[in-house]
Amino acid sequence: MIALENVTKSYGIGDRTHRVLDNISFSFPYRKSVGILGANGAGKSTLIRIIGGADRPDTGRVVRTSRLSWPMGYSGGFQGNMTGRENARFVARIYGSPYEEVERKTNEFAELGKYFDRPLSNYSAGMKSRFAMSLSYALDFDYYLVDEALETGDARLKEKFRQIFKQRRQTSSVILVSHNEQTIRKNCDVATVLHEGKLHYFDDLDDAFTMYRKLLFKKSAA
Amino acid sequence: MANVHSNTSTGATVTAPKVVTPDTAFTVQCRVLHALILRELKSRYGNRRLGFLWALIEPLLFISIFVAGFHLLGRGSQGGLPAPLFFVAGFSPFFLFRDVFSQVKSGAQGHQTLLMFPQVTRIDLLIAKVIVNSLVSISVFLVLMVGLYCIGYHYNIDNPIGVLIGFALMISIGLGMGLVFGAIAIRYEFISSITNPILGRPLFLTSGLFFSASMLPPKAREICLYNPLLHCIEYIRSSLFVGFDSRYVDLQYVSIFALVLVSFGLMLLGFFERQRK
Repeated sequence: MIALENVTKSYGIGDRTHRVLDNISFSFPYRKSVGILGANGAGKSTLIRIIGGADRPDTGRVVRTSRLSWPMGYSGGFQGNMTGRENARFVARIYGSPYEEVERKTNEFAELGKYFDRPLSNYSAGMKSRFAMSLSYALDFDYYLVDEALETGDARLKEKFRQIFKQRRQTSSVILVSHNEQTIRKNCDVATVLHEGKLHYFDDLDDAFTMYRKLLFKKSAA
Repeated sequence: MANVHSNTSTGATVTAPKVVTPDTAFTVQCRVLHALILRELKSRYGNRRLGFLWALIEPLLFISIFVAGFHLLGRGSQGGLPAPLFFVAGFSPFFLFRDVFSQVKSGAQGHQTLLMFPQVTRIDLLIAKVIVNSLVSISVFLVLMVGLYCIGYHYNIDNPIGVLIGFALMISIGLGMGLVFGAIAIRYEFISSITNPILGRPLFLTSGLFFSASMLPPKAREICLYNPLLHCIEYIRSSLFVGFDSRYVDLQYVSIFALVLVSFGLMLLGFFERQRK
């Protein structure tokens, strides 16, 4: 289970404090793809950092009893002077997965060839994100945490990753954060809207979009 | 716990959750520490041609310079010990302290990209750094000691456990200071850049690297003995070498100092964590 329990997070000091997440409790459903919609500045990045454990909430806690991915596409946690294989091995170790298998699958998905045994600092930006994404698919998570970007590489690779993602949606849960309606519509079953520190849940995507549009409109009118 | 959120629809698509192997927090932490330690060693020493030798070079250089300097001054021995033994027993633990201090400080203060992995916590990163630094520094110390023995500086180790206790106390003080100053530096960044001139230098000069407590005039000794590192280094020397005078060592003072410092540091880190941008 991945759940937020009374999570509050504020930024700033003294009277300029801004409460980004305001006492949120939410349990992410199993085997469903949940979209989190939010305008720019609504606190999406903060939320994803808190769910993923990069930041700690001020109060409340995050329950993570299932295997949760790091935010997909992020490659900041990899070590530039280690090879792709070594990085894959490190990540397999912290997740307690058999590393030979993870290494093999990662290279299978990423098609890096002999670059897999070269330091990450030699990779192009595209190769790096391909590596990061392949590694997260190789690990077979219960929950995939996704921040916006799902697509990488050329048309053929894009299609390949789309297929893998489709398969994973059948067996795993997805938490996808985006400001884009289309991304959510394509990839999610249910949606929430993050607004003024609260998370509003909708079983039906269209209801979520209606609320989201209203908020955006109100904002631009003001 | 299954129904924290009441709105969650329970349609046909929601099948039974996967059977999750219940990893305890402890097994997860051990796994993470194991991976972090291997990674730290690999990225620090694994890819250089000389690897571990680099860790040897700095203390070796410092010690050689001081031994040569004292030799030119006509002093082949210090505190009743041959100069090389005296300096190795002082510099090795001091460098360990210094490295733990600076690594923990920057680890506590800075943005750590490894935190993007859900099960990796800041405390794990700090523990791994302390372990790696300690392993490397203690190996360097052993290599130097064995080396000196081989080139003719013979000694009998008086109390090996005492040596370990001395090192452990040095590590704890480095950890505590790193936590305190790293935590404060989250909010007040300039702290990070002034710890070296206002703390590092005085500690370097008063920790007994160049002298032993019994060589100091009483007034200076009284002041220097407030420095817990001096006690540690004296204790390490007296545990290493039979006959080294250790009457000024107060282990109780050092232990309490270290304990208070580490607890205070953890508290500060918790406090300033919220102010991290």
